Amino acid sequence: MDLSYEVKDSYAEITAAGRLNMVSAPKLREMVAEVVASGSARIVINLEATAFMDSSGLGALIGCLKAARQAGGDLRIAAVQPQVQMVLGLTSMDKVLTSYPSAAEAFGDD
Amino acid sequence: MTDILARRTLRQTALPEAIEAVHTELDKLWDDASFVPDLDRMTFATAVIEAASNVVQHAVPESTKPVELGVDISATSVRLEARVSAFDAVCPDPIDTDPAMPDGEAESGRGLALIRALVTTVTFKRQDGTNTWILSKSPLRD
Repeated sequence: MDLSYEVKDSYAEITAAGRLNMVSAPKLREMVAEVVASGSARIVINLEATAFMDSSGLGALIGCLKAARQAGGDLRIAAVQPQVQMVLGLTSMDKVLTSYPSAAEAFGDD
Repeated sequence: MTDILARRTLRQTALPEAIEAVHTELDKLWDDASFVPDLDRMTFATAVIEAASNVVQHAVPESTKPVELGVDISATSVRLEARVSAFDAVCPDPIDTDPAMPDGEAESGRGLALIRALVTTVTFKRQDGTNTWILSKSPLRD
């Protein structure tokens, strides 16, 4: 999985391309910790190019959500693809992790 | 007995890198079994990766020999089956094969519940120092 981030005006966008599984999940956690430590606790994870996620990846997203909230921010996800949506739905985590059509819309209303 | 139309196998040391190899074998299975509908590919592949990740994360070696992960995936015209094995591993504690899905902010513990939700049957077998989870999905949907 390729991970990168960009700090924008009111939030930081992390782009995750590839498979979010037990190999890449710790790397996502590290990147979110780095972004939060740099002062950006409002984070969008752009999942447009994430074709696959397993429960390890889901656990990482939940851990990252907690980290962002503990720092006074939030973590939202954007451009969710069908397999990721399926995992979110079957685990009822679609109610916990708010999904937006695009990264730009994730913090668009606040 | 319906004929197996496509089959792939893998056996290697149970390290995280092995998960990428399982993804590759799943992709090759779909190349050979193009009749399998997309939704079935998605659910089955997710279940197989969960089961293989479970072996890599939790299997305990029975001796000084490292645990090996085995994956045997096959397709007939009406059924998908996976045998996901931990070779040279100790027998796990009694397994709850139908666990509840953790809720709220738990960061782990969803793997087996997710597998149950994705496939038709899940069975566990212990034989000759090998733990095998057998997942099946049928019938295939258009």
